[in-house]
Amino acid sequence: MDQNDMDKPPSSPASQPAPPADAMGRRSFLRTSAVLATGLAALAASLKPLLEMNDFPTMERFLQKYYKEMTPQDMAKVLKRIEDEVEQQYGLRPQVRDLKPMAGVEYVYCLNLTRCIGCRKCVHACVAENNESHDPEIQYIRVLRLPDGSLDIDKAEHFYAPDSVPEKGYFYMPVQCQQCKNPPCVKVCPVHATWQETDGITVIDYDWCIGCRYCEAACPYWARRFNFTKPTIPKDRLNPDMAYLGNRPRRQGVMEKCHFCIQRTRVGRYPACLEVCPAGARKFGNILDPNSEVSYILRSKRVFIQLKEEMGTSPRFFYYFDV
Amino acid sequence: MTRAIRNYFVFLQRCVCIALVGDWRYYAWTGLLTAVSLLGLNAYCRQFAHGLIVTGMSDEVSWGVYIANFTFLVGVAAAAVMMVIPVYIYKNEDLHDLVIFGELLAVAAILMCLAFVTVDLGRPDRFWHLIPGIGQFNFPKSMLSWDVIVLNGYLLLNVHICGYLLYCRYRKTKPGKWFYIPFVFIAIVWAVSIHTVTAFLYVGLGGRPFWNSSIVGPRFLASAFTAGPALIILAMQVVRRVTSSSSLGLGSPEGGGAPSPPPKRRAATPDDFVLLTRYLPEIGSVPSEIRQRLLPMAEVLEVQPGDILLRQGETEDKAFFILRGCVVVKRQEGGRFRITRTAGPGEQFGEITALDGTPRTATAFAEEPSLVLSLSAAALRLLMKSPQVNKIVRSRMSERLLITDRALMTLRSIVQVSMLINVFLLANEVFKEFYSGNLHVVSSKYLFVGLKNHHALVPWIWTAIAFNLIAMVLLVLPVSRSLKWLNVTCILCIVGIWIEKGMGLVIPGFIPTPLGEMMEYRPSLNETLVCFGIWSFGLLCYTVFLRMSVPILQGRLCQENEGAPDQSSNAAAAGAAPRG
Repeated sequence: MDQNDMDKPPSSPASQPAPPADAMGRRSFLRTSAVLATGLAALAASLKPLLEMNDFPTMERFLQKYYKEMTPQDMAKVLKRIEDEVEQQYGLRPQVRDLKPMAGVEYVYCLNLTRCIGCRKCVHACVAENNESHDPEIQYIRVLRLPDGSLDIDKAEHFYAPDSVPEKGYFYMPVQCQQCKNPPCVKVCPVHATWQETDGITVIDYDWCIGCRYCEAACPYWARRFNFTKPTIPKDRLNPDMAYLGNRPRRQGVMEKCHFCIQRTRVGRYPACLEVCPAGARKFGNILDPNSEVSYILRSKRVFIQLKEEMGTSPRFFYYFDV
Repeated sequence: MTRAIRNYFVFLQRCVCIALVGDWRYYAWTGLLTAVSLLGLNAYCRQFAHGLIVTGMSDEVSWGVYIANFTFLVGVAAAAVMMVIPVYIYKNEDLHDLVIFGELLAVAAILMCLAFVTVDLGRPDRFWHLIPGIGQFNFPKSMLSWDVIVLNGYLLLNVHICGYLLYCRYRKTKPGKWFYIPFVFIAIVWAVSIHTVTAFLYVGLGGRPFWNSSIVGPRFLASAFTAGPALIILAMQVVRRVTSSSSLGLGSPEGGGAPSPPPKRRAATPDDFVLLTRYLPEIGSVPSEIRQRLLPMAEVLEVQPGDILLRQGETEDKAFFILRGCVVVKRQEGGRFRITRTAGPGEQFGEITALDGTPRTATAFAEEPSLVLSLSAAALRLLMKSPQVNKIVRSRMSERLLITDRALMTLRSIVQVSMLINVFLLANEVFKEFYSGNLHVVSSKYLFVGLKNHHALVPWIWTAIAFNLIAMVLLVLPVSRSLKWLNVTCILCIVGIWIEKGMGLVIPGFIPTPLGEMMEYRPSLNETLVCFGIWSFGLLCYTVFLRMSVPILQGRLCQENEGAPDQSSNAAAAGAAPRG
């Protein structure tokens, strides 16, 4: 920063008896190359951890188009590539489908808080069905234990571990993605990587997400999960029945969350959490069909709860009580 | 056209060359910053390979110290440009040269901001999804897409303004008003917008009651206007020190000689003005009747080497023009004398005290037998009635790049007012949270007093509050008029606000989670190294920007001395690649 080198009359090299020009050139050349070599070596050393790369994007993956902009041919190619990649990694060839929402369907979930016993079977069924990472552990459903009489979430116990459930004096409330009609997570995504489909399911294009985690900060239900590193799923636990917007294995650095088991529900099956529930607390169906079970429940129950209703998110997930 | 492009490339090339040379302190400082930046790069490469698991973040606390630093630096960037307001709107001349330094600081801060958001991304390789037109840009719905636009726009605005003004200085042409004044005004509004948009990132999240408060935006601006100018006060003193320093000037101003007899004085004659006109043609524009009126107010001094013409700290208000010989100006700093500059025939010194009435900022003494024209303050003002003389004297004053104490005091009053507002707004927030006592107070409880046996942030926030309060008291007391105390105050402001607004705002928003889970956050070593790396990179950028712009502002790097084996390249030959 000092300016004197410019103010003062040319000192060192010029004021001394001038060495032969080529010697000068050689000396400064040597010095410059020494500085350059040191710099390059330091740079190379700093970049070295890149060799441990988990997940180097290939050109094909790097240039992959946005879900809504892919032609059916593009999609077929991508699905095939994903199947190849999964097979290579897990030794099991999956079937990956791009399932579209069905016309005239809007899914709704109802959960009977009187029946739920807090056994967390839904949590583990969900992990198995949706190929959630075992290490680090990712689970879409969090079951809260609340003292009888209060819905104050700050009183919730997340890590209750009694010998047996249910416990006296408590009730249990499983929370997962509420599939809001007015989802804050969709609004904040800077790249449209998450959106709401016509059947009410908010989905994520795992290959488009940039991993900024703004949606995770925006969600009032803490329903979103981030892949802080490459997820690990034991080879024998992989569910090979996969959907592009659903349970196909995710990569490092992207968001995921409950999608009402798109790979099941869009072909007319129930979500895995519902099927496994031993208490029959979970009900799922098409609200646009007046004869569906969920339509009946929402018609006949006098009180049901939309979690944090005051947020204006209008969840498609309803809690109710048998009274 | 091709010539203009060639000229511009020569300019850029010379700027790069000058950034590569300096004295040992410059090399030590930039070398250190480069080393720490590389350390940060190394840590980031580890994160890039293994994912964000190497940070302390989790699904519970999903933003950490990266976003905290980002938020703080957006404020610095915004505040740096607001320095422009006093200059362009209120015509405050004291801050004129600070504007370029302020804008360069804004550029460096924005570069750091962009680096901090980039390292926070889980998939930085997919950055192109954010480019409007190529990717999918969720504008105007997502506040993050607004942030992408305002930050990059702000970067371009400031690069344009600084680059244009510096290039004009380099070519010694007058900047075309239409090429930069509109941009300056846009930049002022834009500066408010970048910080407001950044506040809206948080404010817009209804699911996070701690952030979902309309006071966050105003608080951001108030704290930015405190920390930003505080940072500039410190940076400007560093610039002032290193731009005027010299190892030649050590020792006594007299150069060790015995005190010499007082200089010979005589009344000025019209011939003296003729002589001055030879070196300073602008004097020719002064009408002869004014010259006649000047004569009684002027005298000519004949001085010998070592004679002192004016002394630092004195307030007698004469201004001087050199008619023959050479005068050296030295500033005393901490017991050492540093050469500020050397003036030759036709050049002036002492005019600042004459015009502003401030004490002498340096001591001037003759380097060789010299003839000096001495004018009273009234005479100088009379002389400066001629627009040509006024222009040359003023431009030389600013060329000398005066970061006057008065400019620093102007910044101090900005910091003072902002800190009062900042503390007031913080008090408002704390009152609303705790007095109403509803369920939304949990995050504030966690921050200020701890919650359910978790209190990692409590010592931090109280440190921040203590720093802010001490800084506020110091700022309102006259004691902070002394630079030593002002510097202490500025450091307190910067650290206090960094904690309060970075860690104190971002982290508690996540604790407890929306489902009531308590999970604390502690930055990991790797994450900390990345932060240090980015800060070093930003400081390195700022250092290099200053290294390029200071000689241009001082007029020592200009188009005129282009082809010549210029002063800057004698060192360049040693440090940089051989040129031509």
